[in-house]
Amino acid sequence: MSCPRDDVAALGANAGGLCDGDMTSTTIIDVDELNVTYGDFHAVQDLSFQVERGELYALLGTNGAGKTSALEVIEGHRRASSGTVRVFGASPTNRRAVRPRMGIMLQDSGFSPDLTASESVRLIGRLTERSDTVDRVLSLVDLTGKADTRVSSLSGGEKRRLDFATAVYGRPELVVLDEPTTGLDIQSRDALWDAVQQLREDGSTIVLTTHYLEEAQQHADRVGLMHRGLLRRQGTVPELTRALPATIQFSLAPNAPAPPMHSAPVSDRSYLIETFHLQADLKQLLDWADVHAVDLRELSAAPTRLDDVFRAMDTEPAPA
Amino acid sequence: MLSIARSELSQILRNRALLVANLIPPVAASAFFIYNRDVFERLGSLGYIAAVIVFTVGAFSLYTTVVTTLAARRQTLFLKRLRSTAVSDQAIMSGLVLPVSAISLLQVGLILGAFATVSDRPDNLPLLIAAIAAAFVMMLALAMATAGVTNSPEHAQITTLPLSLGTIAVVNWVAITGTESLAPLKRLLPGGSATELIVNAWNGGVPLADSLVLLVPTLAWVVVAVVLASKFFRWEPRR
Repeated sequence: MSCPRDDVAALGANAGGLCDGDMTSTTIIDVDELNVTYGDFHAVQDLSFQVERGELYALLGTNGAGKTSALEVIEGHRRASSGTVRVFGASPTNRRAVRPRMGIMLQDSGFSPDLTASESVRLIGRLTERSDTVDRVLSLVDLTGKADTRVSSLSGGEKRRLDFATAVYGRPELVVLDEPTTGLDIQSRDALWDAVQQLREDGSTIVLTTHYLEEAQQHADRVGLMHRGLLRRQGTVPELTRALPATIQFSLAPNAPAPPMHSAPVSDRSYLIETFHLQADLKQLLDWADVHAVDLRELSAAPTRLDDVFRAMDTEPAPA
Repeated sequence: MLSIARSELSQILRNRALLVANLIPPVAASAFFIYNRDVFERLGSLGYIAAVIVFTVGAFSLYTTVVTTLAARRQTLFLKRLRSTAVSDQAIMSGLVLPVSAISLLQVGLILGAFATVSDRPDNLPLLIAAIAAAFVMMLALAMATAGVTNSPEHAQITTLPLSLGTIAVVNWVAITGTESLAPLKRLLPGGSATELIVNAWNGGVPLADSLVLLVPTLAWVVVAVVLASKFFRWEPRR
């Protein structure tokens, strides 16, 4: 299978080999029946999923759900207790084969406090065997002014940004981000997501974990939801939220008539309507309020969010 | 590997606490021995002073510094960071210990050079170099093994004491009392046979074949230490 020149160019400076051998497959990560145990504790159980080229896949879960353990096996930092994980068709522990094509942002910074920001990026960049410039990646995360500052003098947010800079050094084909926006202010979070978007436009595949569900909802192509070591849900955000109703909330004056559709009173005059037809029911409610001259106070309508899926999942009994 | 070594050298030179605590004392101790060489020569021999210098540098500049460095790099997750790249574990480890090893070799070379200038030159320089190399490889391997049971740089102040003080004690015992009695025990202790080899190389008077055999126990300690290191060394902090 040949690789069109335009495609190669679009994939960025270090996309060489993307159309070679195993890369004729579109599957970048293949996790099959992965188990990770620590003594008697089963951190990850029978986890299976694939990540396709160009996707942004978010692996989400509660604390202790097993997502970091799973991610560490994918990164090659941890060996699977059983099952197989292939990255670019190779074992993730095969560093020479995988790492030049894979950028990793760790959950903890892991930089030497005595090196400067630019020295840290230069060192890790060289060792990844990708080509890029330190200035480019530092400017990407707005750390150009801190290039000569020792890591020990950087703030927590700046260290996270430095971590991201090393992960995207050389525009790798695959970027693994472990809670990338934790500890970042809103401007830095936006800037980081802009950089992720740019990577995706360059053809990179992204795998991430995050506690910020709204970020996953907004940016992920597909989401895997882990709970107590198991992958309990997987799919696009619409697929995951489809099974749960959206909500309309409002409150009424004491003398107002009862609402036109079934609603659960939250308190004396506050109502919650759960619906799978948000637009139609909202229109019906607004028409009713208009006809009866009813004031819908504190009216809000919310589509189903990943938070709701999470909460529902938490109350479900574990599968046998 | 050289990129890691270069960055490691920068980190060592910027860490004044490490420099003062681990690299300066061996120089000071060696200067004391050289200044009082007449006293120590009467106690043992010139070879004894050379052996003390080699193992003072080996125990503190090399062994203690390597244990402290590896524990610190693991604690800050720098080792994990390095393992996130394309380089092998062997290259990472080599890069990390190369600057300390080079500094220690330079130290011992300069100190012994100064000692030879003010006293007598070693009788067999190639044998002395072989003895120093074997002793340093042993201390390096023991450092990797000790780093496996050392959780932090602060913890290293405790975990390094038994071997660093132990080898210095062995050096003094072997070099002062000789190996006429309890020879097997003295030669099997870490640093024992290397001390005898250094003394022989500096003082002379012992057939080369008899001296070369003394490399075997030292290299056996290297094997033991490497096995222990491969069993106990951890790249990440214990969870």
